[in-house]
Amino acid sequence: MTITRRYLMKAGMAAGTALAMPSILRAQTSPDAARTVRMVMPDLTIFDPLLSISDQTYMHSLAVYDTLFALDAKLVPQPQMVGKWEISEDKKTYTFELRDGLQFHDGTPVTAADCIASIRRWGQVDGGGKLIMERTSDIAKRDEKTFTIALKEPLGILLDLLAAGTNFLSIMREKDAGRPATEQVTSNIGSGPFRFNENLVRPGASFTYDRNEKYIPRQEPAEGLAGGKVVKVDRVEWQVITDQQTALAALQAGETDFVLSPAPDLYPVIENDPNLELQVLNTSGSDLYIRMNFLQPPFNNVKARQAMLHLIDQEAFLRVMAPDSRFAHPVTSLFGNSTPYSNDENTGWYKKGGDPERAKQLLQEAGYAGEKVFIFQITDWAAASNAALLLADTLRKIGVNVELGAMSFGEFTTRRANKGPVENGGWSIFISDWSDYNFGDPIGTSFMFANGDKAWWGWPKSDEYEALRAKWVVAETLEKRQALAREMQGVWWDFVGAVMLGQIVQPVAHRKALTGLIAVPDSRFPMWNMQKA
Amino acid sequence: MAIYILRRMVSTIAVMVMVGMFVFLLLRLAPGDPAAIIAGKSATAEMIAGIREQLGLNDPLPVQFVHWAFGILRGDLGISIFSGRPVLELISQRLEPTLSLSILTMILSVLVGVSFGILAAWRSGGFVDRLLTAFSAFGYSVPVFVIGYFLIYFFAIRMHWLPVQGYAPIGEGLGPWFVHLVLPTVALSLGFIAFIARVTRASMLEVLSEDYMRTAAAKGASSYAMLFHHALKNAGVPILTVIGLSFAWLIGGVVLTETVFNIPGIGRLVVDAINNRDYPIIQSVLILTSGLYVLINLTVDLAYTLIDPRIRY
Repeated sequence: MTITRRYLMKAGMAAGTALAMPSILRAQTSPDAARTVRMVMPDLTIFDPLLSISDQTYMHSLAVYDTLFALDAKLVPQPQMVGKWEISEDKKTYTFELRDGLQFHDGTPVTAADCIASIRRWGQVDGGGKLIMERTSDIAKRDEKTFTIALKEPLGILLDLLAAGTNFLSIMREKDAGRPATEQVTSNIGSGPFRFNENLVRPGASFTYDRNEKYIPRQEPAEGLAGGKVVKVDRVEWQVITDQQTALAALQAGETDFVLSPAPDLYPVIENDPNLELQVLNTSGSDLYIRMNFLQPPFNNVKARQAMLHLIDQEAFLRVMAPDSRFAHPVTSLFGNSTPYSNDENTGWYKKGGDPERAKQLLQEAGYAGEKVFIFQITDWAAASNAALLLADTLRKIGVNVELGAMSFGEFTTRRANKGPVENGGWSIFISDWSDYNFGDPIGTSFMFANGDKAWWGWPKSDEYEALRAKWVVAETLEKRQALAREMQGVWWDFVGAVMLGQIVQPVAHRKALTGLIAVPDSRFPMWNMQKA
Repeated sequence: MAIYILRRMVSTIAVMVMVGMFVFLLLRLAPGDPAAIIAGKSATAEMIAGIREQLGLNDPLPVQFVHWAFGILRGDLGISIFSGRPVLELISQRLEPTLSLSILTMILSVLVGVSFGILAAWRSGGFVDRLLTAFSAFGYSVPVFVIGYFLIYFFAIRMHWLPVQGYAPIGEGLGPWFVHLVLPTVALSLGFIAFIARVTRASMLEVLSEDYMRTAAAKGASSYAMLFHHALKNAGVPILTVIGLSFAWLIGGVVLTETVFNIPGIGRLVVDAINNRDYPIIQSVLILTSGLYVLINLTVDLAYTLIDPRIRY
């Protein structure tokens, strides 16, 4: 056979068409690029909000599932799936009626039975949920859309607990919610504003959320995690790009529209690009803190803990934890900077530059005799690692015998469980963080417990503080809880349950064409309301 | 030959068993609690204990080992601790990107590396040789992530010719699949091209100085015939050895490239699994990798007989 030029051209065109065919077919079934938002988010491995409290599982759940109440921008609970609700005169029975037209992605209507099963499952895992279950005598269905929660005694913060669970209270189908709370629900069928597209799941690479055309949003404008969840695009593609530099390159090249957590050293590059923008959506940020071991010397002595309170220069720590000062703020309240309970009670210890002389004196009063102080340095977390280095240096300057233990987060979790002395593999100090808004919830945020052995790592103990904390659940109004917060904080800074290092706010990076992003006092970002120009 | 292959296959299984036991013990002895990692940094001791119980991590080590080993014998690689999904499924999903990248890299590396090596040997001491030697030094010494970022900046951000990152499965079309693999393949290949070129050059130089090559030249053989019919075949054994070794290294060494170009392959799966102490994934991938390593070596050994008839098993 003779190969002519015409034959070659024909063969080339045929091969090109064949190669391009799958992409052409895919393009015909994919939404328009302008109606698709691509977002760089953390990798998603656990889809059931009761099996993980990670931000990514929570954000996935926000998209796929709806919930009964949600927090607005001021951290006040607002009805979401609930249309009407009322409290009985004795404040022990809450009646909830669902909004009209709610349905799951499989087309079945959302019923009171689904809500009851979901609350019961959530109540086995979430701290706030457990409290509700402890205080509940019955959760009963009135009709297809109405159910009641009958309490043994009033619980003033019931709506707050329903709205602000550490684990997201996702309303699932009764058959899913009927599964044990320890078994992962993998069906991903909720009644939320997005449908999870199982066919386009690419583990470690991308997850796809399609607009739920049948979702009926509330009429109120979106505010925080509350209000109308109006989806203005056809599809959101959740991209997993682990390398920060590559994520930025993808943003610059237009391969993605949004990066949830750009690295601070890349902020100048983002700000110098005319197509990109840094924006603070999480107005709450996270507070880094020092947690001391109450069980071992020297921090089993309150004077030694008070020494730490006076020693820390938050500005210096913020400089090493968050190099860009626009996104870093001191925090002096146990109740954070952004919650309605933030106050200035008993904060006289705060001094710019710290007070090393006072710290030295308090250490002497504590009878510090050169015991080894072991500080965890979690190397796979830059901010905490830098803070640990600075802390070790600061302590050495006032004569403390410091051992810095550099290790991965995995190794840290093992050693942290050791309650023994440093010589036997125990520890003295670790640095961690908590979302600032969580400090408005002393019932669900285990960092704020001071019940000794039952408390969170570090095992702080103060009976006086715990007695005040117990009153929180029955305080009915915001004003009453604000007054209680002042009292609690007064005691907390006396026995020093922990020492704050400062608040860091993490901006997102996005292309300027992407608008309508919702600011939330939360590290969990909702995917509704946004659109592309 | 058949007995030799059978013996090697049996030894492959023995190697996999030993690797399995070693990795199992090593991972259990290493610090780090997967339950605590799953639960997250804000978790309470109670939450962590619950997860440990649920995952069976409180069982004695021998019980855990027997449970795992019997699973492997049944072809069940276990369930990922972190995601709760079958390990076999997770590995299968990540295999295609890694194999695609590895195979393309090997093809490019062998074609270019062997050609460069032959050219450098043929023009030994001349400008071309020095140029190719300099290129080899560059390719061998510059880290893959530096090359990767440079390629991304120039070809993706500045020129908009190729995508920055990602992987398009082959099922979505050969075009998108190939386009997404161009930059990572080039970045990863440079080191291997340099390595293969250096070995090819040295091997070819040795053969070209043999008496029979001089005889071939005296008989008027063309340069092409001398290089490709006489020299390359005789220089082939060491070249084939480094190609085999390179391919084996490649399987385990694509992590950085997969990270820089955001390719959801085996390398990233293992790195994530190590960070999360996801024992079943780490164990399975290491066992499979060790088996693959042994099989590649076996293939190379068998390939020797094709280019050197003196070798018999």
